[in-house]
Amino acid sequence: MNSNTLWSLRLGFSGKQSKAIEKLGLPKFLEQSYVAPFDTKIPELLNNSPKSIEEFRAKRKELKSSNPDTLKELVIKEAKVSQEMKAWWIDKMITDEFPLREKMVCFWHNHFVCTFQKVKVNYWIYQHNQILREDAFGNFKSLAKKIVKSNAMVRYLDNVDNKKDKINENLSRELLELFTLGIGNYTEDDIKNGAKGLAGLNLGEDQAQYRRFIEDNDSITYLGKTGNFKIDEMIDIIFEQKAIPYLLTRKILKWFIYDNPSEELVQYYGDYFRKVNFEMKPLLTKIFTEEFAKKNAGSKIKDPLVYILQLTNELNIEKMNSKLLVFYLKQQGMDLLNQPNVKGWNGGKEWLSSQVYLQRNNAADLLCNGKNLTRRQMNTDNEMMNETRNALVNISLQWDKKGNNKKIIAELTDRLLFQTDENLQKDFETLLKYDFNPNSEGANNAVLRLFNAIVKTPEYQLI
Amino acid sequence: MNRRNFLTLTGTFTGGTLLLPDFLHAFGAQKSLVIGEQCLVFIQLNGGNDGLNTFIPFEDALYYDLRPKIALSKDEVISKNKGMAFHPALKSFATMQQNGDLTVIQNVGYPEPNRSHFRSQEIWQTASSSNQYLNEGWLGRYLDLQCKEHQPTAGVNFDSIDNLSLKGNEPNSITVKDPSRFKMRTDSDDTVKLSDNPQLDFVRKIANSVSEGSEEIQKALAKSTAEIAYPKTGLSKNLEWISRLIKGNLNSKVYYTSLGGFDTHDNQLAIQQRIFTELNDALFTFYTDLKKAQLLQNVTIVVFSEFGRRVKDNGKGTDHGTAAPMFVIGGNNKGKIMGNNPNLSDLDNGDLKYEVDFRSVYASLLQNKMNFDPAKIGIKNNPLNGLF
Repeated sequence: MNSNTLWSLRLGFSGKQSKAIEKLGLPKFLEQSYVAPFDTKIPELLNNSPKSIEEFRAKRKELKSSNPDTLKELVIKEAKVSQEMKAWWIDKMITDEFPLREKMVCFWHNHFVCTFQKVKVNYWIYQHNQILREDAFGNFKSLAKKIVKSNAMVRYLDNVDNKKDKINENLSRELLELFTLGIGNYTEDDIKNGAKGLAGLNLGEDQAQYRRFIEDNDSITYLGKTGNFKIDEMIDIIFEQKAIPYLLTRKILKWFIYDNPSEELVQYYGDYFRKVNFEMKPLLTKIFTEEFAKKNAGSKIKDPLVYILQLTNELNIEKMNSKLLVFYLKQQGMDLLNQPNVKGWNGGKEWLSSQVYLQRNNAADLLCNGKNLTRRQMNTDNEMMNETRNALVNISLQWDKKGNNKKIIAELTDRLLFQTDENLQKDFETLLKYDFNPNSEGANNAVLRLFNAIVKTPEYQLI
Repeated sequence: MNRRNFLTLTGTFTGGTLLLPDFLHAFGAQKSLVIGEQCLVFIQLNGGNDGLNTFIPFEDALYYDLRPKIALSKDEVISKNKGMAFHPALKSFATMQQNGDLTVIQNVGYPEPNRSHFRSQEIWQTASSSNQYLNEGWLGRYLDLQCKEHQPTAGVNFDSIDNLSLKGNEPNSITVKDPSRFKMRTDSDDTVKLSDNPQLDFVRKIANSVSEGSEEIQKALAKSTAEIAYPKTGLSKNLEWISRLIKGNLNSKVYYTSLGGFDTHDNQLAIQQRIFTELNDALFTFYTDLKKAQLLQNVTIVVFSEFGRRVKDNGKGTDHGTAAPMFVIGGNNKGKIMGNNPNLSDLDNGDLKYEVDFRSVYASLLQNKMNFDPAKIGIKNNPLNGLF
């Protein structure tokens, strides 16, 4: 596989940036990705959703006094808004000239998990997502502070129920276990005491805030230090711990390159991460530029997002309905803004099961035949003939008409498969024989059939 | 396969006829002449098999004149009959013919023949005319109309890669590389190492178990046993699996497999000897197996290639040509030799002129064996009379 294409897939969601990486070189491409502008406007889909605490309270009142039917309607309406938000996000991933920021937003969103299902307020989910966008390449420590103080997070991890004399440990535990140090690097007492420090951190206007009457101002001992610590001091202490850089560097390596990164690499980049004070840009630049030079293609099973966006990009499907993509991702076990639990998607082998692989192949078959991913009722004059059919989509595949069969196979495999071998080559030459005429009328369909076969291989599932 | 979802047209489908689209409704009411579950088995000879050295006009002086280096002598050929005889490696073809189970259809081809492997296979697989480009196979179109909902095992292709013939609007067919590996993954599989990349290994193992219909296939395999020893060749293995699926009542309508290596531009005698032996032994074992199981009358085997080869040799081989014989075995065919012997004195640019359009053979298979009107999938040729 062409290494620029490989890295376009790794740093984005398709092969679309391959040319830019080749032209700019990776370091420049990264620089431009870091400074590329991004959307800060509140999306229109949130126009009718409550935003301030006051609006939210009014809404809650309204809900309480509504009869069950209106209540149901309102709930369905907000669930629809959530679907729209997912589509809004996918559109960014598809259209951004430098999608690395959205790739990082998605990484963070799978690190600091918050789901709409639990939080139930779309605006807070949006705020959470937007913090991740603004700080995508920022500082891990300051991002951790912002996120733990988001309304979405205090609700998601039940800190709204964490009060003096009625402690709820959920946020305190995940802060150490999943967000920062990782299991084995703290004690149960740290969790208990941390929960006291977090008690009273509750919903606020723009972000969470401590409430005077329910906070706990006792002195606590946290990771060896004693004092009256609140969330910011607690995070400062966490970031003094020896173990702090490794959980995140391991996750970064897993998200971008290796399903199973070696502990040496984790240690190596982790030490550097500490040295640069948990700044993301230098860490990412170091990892990407050093790993770019290595032969490590095929180390990671594609997540559903890359799988489907690469496919629609290759087929140049322009008017793909993003909501369909949202639904497809859900089927594939990657429902955005809705991970199954606070641990997030584990990725790796968990992305693929027989069922998921079959769905991938079905999607490939449909799209390669110019059919959309869902079926809809087709009405014909003959009532007997009513049946569901797939709507059609325009597809076009780029390939060089000047090539012979081997050149076309090489062109496609170079941008689609991390490796190929004699057996695959033989299969592909069965589909596109040596006397294939690239200028014949049916040539395009024949190359599409080849493409279809390529994207169903096990090799295509890896980057 | 769930029989209720397949309109077998054998009268078993009555309850739901009112829900059928009109064109199938008419069929559902028709009395069937076909008895029992019928299926078709295709063996595609890839590369363009040289028909003249397969079924040989050994009494034609022109044959020897035009092929000084590769003609087979009168003493070598076997089962002589009205000027034609089989290649010596095809001794069991002769046996099947003598048993009345094999029909040879001579000079099969199509108008304006294309001599590109790629294009000619496409034509055979889509049943298009020479200047028409279709993106769905003829069997795929047939299965689209015959399967009420999509039936992943209505067609089974034994090959490493999908086959255009079976490609339709709905996924009514599957491609099976190796049915013994075609099963749900179990934990014990984790110890099997396929490559040096553990992630790739993992995906490959899943890929092996993936396909709708894998369960049906496993069930059919479990219900049947191998009662006869097949030779240890690729084609034999595929035919053995097909036999087991038929015996295990998978109830697929179409099975497809292929044998490669027929592109004999050079060294033809040795290549054909070897490859015909593989074909002959595999096919005869399959035939014997089905006969023993008393299933041969329900299974129609079709052997064909995308084109024949140039009448005049090019030295030790032959170049791409046109018409060639097609073989039909079982399915209660009449066991005849159909059509005239190849006319070597009336050639088109050095190639045989076809006399039977392959689509009329397809039409006959659909009409006579599947009780299906070939016009529904765009085959307008009349069925070949006298095949069944």
